[in-house]
Amino acid sequence: MNQWLQQVIDRGQAIDDWLSPHRAQSLEALGKAKWPNRRVESWKYTSLAPLEQLELSPGSAVGEAIIEDIEGLNSLDLVFVNGKLQSDISLLVLPQGLHISSLQDVSVKEKNTANALFSKIKPQRHLFGLVNDALAEDGLIIDIDANSKIEQPIRIINISSDGQESHHRVLVRLGSHASATVIEHGQGEQASLSTGFAEYDIGEQAYLEHYRLAMHTHQAIHIGGCHFSLQQKSQLNSTLIAYGSELSRMDVDIIHNGEHAKAKFNAVYLLGEAEHFDLHSTIEHVVPNGTTKENARGIVGDKAKAVFNGRIHIHRNAQKTLAELHNRNLLLSRRGQINTKPELEIYADDVLCAHGATVAETEEETLYYLLSRGISRSQALVMLNFGFIQELVDQMPNQHLAQWLKPQLHSRFVEMEVK
Amino acid sequence: MLKINNLHASVEQKEILKGLNLDIKPGEVHAIMGPNGAGKSTLGYILSGREGYEVSEGQVEFHGEDLLDMAIEERAHKGLFLAFQYPVEIPGVSNMAFMKESVNAIREQRGETPLTATEFLKKAKEACKQVQLSLDFLKRGVNEGFSGGEKKRNEIMQMILLEPSLCILDESDSGLDIDALQVVANGVNSQRDGKRSFIIITHYQRLLDYIKPDYVHILANGKVVKSGDASLATDVEKEGYAFLGQDNAEEKNA
Repeated sequence: MNQWLQQVIDRGQAIDDWLSPHRAQSLEALGKAKWPNRRVESWKYTSLAPLEQLELSPGSAVGEAIIEDIEGLNSLDLVFVNGKLQSDISLLVLPQGLHISSLQDVSVKEKNTANALFSKIKPQRHLFGLVNDALAEDGLIIDIDANSKIEQPIRIINISSDGQESHHRVLVRLGSHASATVIEHGQGEQASLSTGFAEYDIGEQAYLEHYRLAMHTHQAIHIGGCHFSLQQKSQLNSTLIAYGSELSRMDVDIIHNGEHAKAKFNAVYLLGEAEHFDLHSTIEHVVPNGTTKENARGIVGDKAKAVFNGRIHIHRNAQKTLAELHNRNLLLSRRGQINTKPELEIYADDVLCAHGATVAETEEETLYYLLSRGISRSQALVMLNFGFIQELVDQMPNQHLAQWLKPQLHSRFVEMEVK
Repeated sequence: MLKINNLHASVEQKEILKGLNLDIKPGEVHAIMGPNGAGKSTLGYILSGREGYEVSEGQVEFHGEDLLDMAIEERAHKGLFLAFQYPVEIPGVSNMAFMKESVNAIREQRGETPLTATEFLKKAKEACKQVQLSLDFLKRGVNEGFSGGEKKRNEIMQMILLEPSLCILDESDSGLDIDALQVVANGVNSQRDGKRSFIIITHYQRLLDYIKPDYVHILANGKVVKSGDASLATDVEKEGYAFLGQDNAEEKNA
């Protein structure tokens, strides 16, 4: 048994709370799990060495967290510091139809059904999903009643500080015809480990607008996931914005459980220095008539390393599926590295599927066009390469968020260029 | 303003221009006509500095300086503008941001203060109106999803905003219906101020009904084979480029 994993199991077993029956299942699975090395396909390009070398203590909230306000967003903020919820939910003014409870403070009714609540959407194969099951004691359950349209975005902030470890989990359930916007916003730069997994159950004809801002950098290790289950005629519009740290990994699952559902997933990663980011996405078309459009774009500079694995799995019964997956990458330096792999597994015969992955350098003709207008070469490169990802940022339905992101992404990109 | 002397140039080891001469003075409008493959577009590319074109012989002087020695962006700073035959689509870069960057880069080189966002917007709106594009086109990605005609008008809009001293229009009439053609021609005519010069590269005489050239040159087989006034364009329209057959034959024999 791997030492790190053994430590997780020991700690998980020592926790005694209402989630323990559920935790026991995951601990059992962890006991049988193999610690991933480079020969395990899903971890082939991502080393867990930085994690094993990290000295940590279970999280304790340190000081007051400074939360950046996003102009015009007017979000309902729920703040975790080192895995502990800092916001007092009882003080929040919740719109009608929205219910939020902390895992520390759920109703007796929920407590009786710990096993029925979690890991229904998140697949068991995610090792760190199991680690999160074992160690997370805090988190949120968010319910949106049927027919409720929640206008105010819900922002879940997760901050990691020096030497701390944090594990939190989120469950969001949208009733039929409901709609909501959820932003998962993670940040940290000092030596730390955070795992954060969120499960979304999108009911019939419901609409979820979702953002995951994975902005951990430097020594802040982050391993997390977003897992979506789509019921009949529901819609998902999700955007992932990722930076890289010593070790950053995100697993996304989009599962079509009801027919005529539509999923759009855009991902942008922007990596410099020696940052590492790994995105594994899996689209499961279990039933017929589903639509998925996935577009992942990344820019990799310096010695950074990006890993993209995009899998589309169309089950035998899932006729008339429309699925598209594109991954485009720009490599700005000779020392950077991109490993990209689209995977199609199609068992139905009447489907429309497209996929593609490219790694490119800037197109000469486009560059010539900008230069011919008097724009300097360096500025033209910034505009072009940034335009490549800005296109996806522009598609974000929430313009306040997009406007807040753009200058940050831009300055991050400019810094990469200079080095 | 522009002096081209015995220009020889090739692309991928194939010689396209074979001793081209041209002398353009301030305020003049020169039309360059000729059959496909004569080297018309190549001339535009070489003047603007596109990579992949090898000049083996000859000189080009622009405002008294060696044009061929300048970087692409430097040529733009000195006042050269090429309206592309096939403008590039750049999704993710807004037309507005692109043009503002471009206008201010050139202003900076001329020693002028950069325009503020508000000042630029005012100018851009006027230019938009002039080429009859709705203001939405400023917000969209550069040429992204524009029709052929909209792309050509977008080129003319850039020309108006950049205020160059020499404008090269590479088949700005191709693919345009009569209304769009008039918009393009009006855009060009509005910029004729007796100082600004134009090179109008076109396959057909049609555009020259709206933009009266001072000189017409027929380019064939890499050199100017005939020059004249506007009436030459009308002759070409009537008789086609067939009369070149003889000249070409002579050249081959020579």
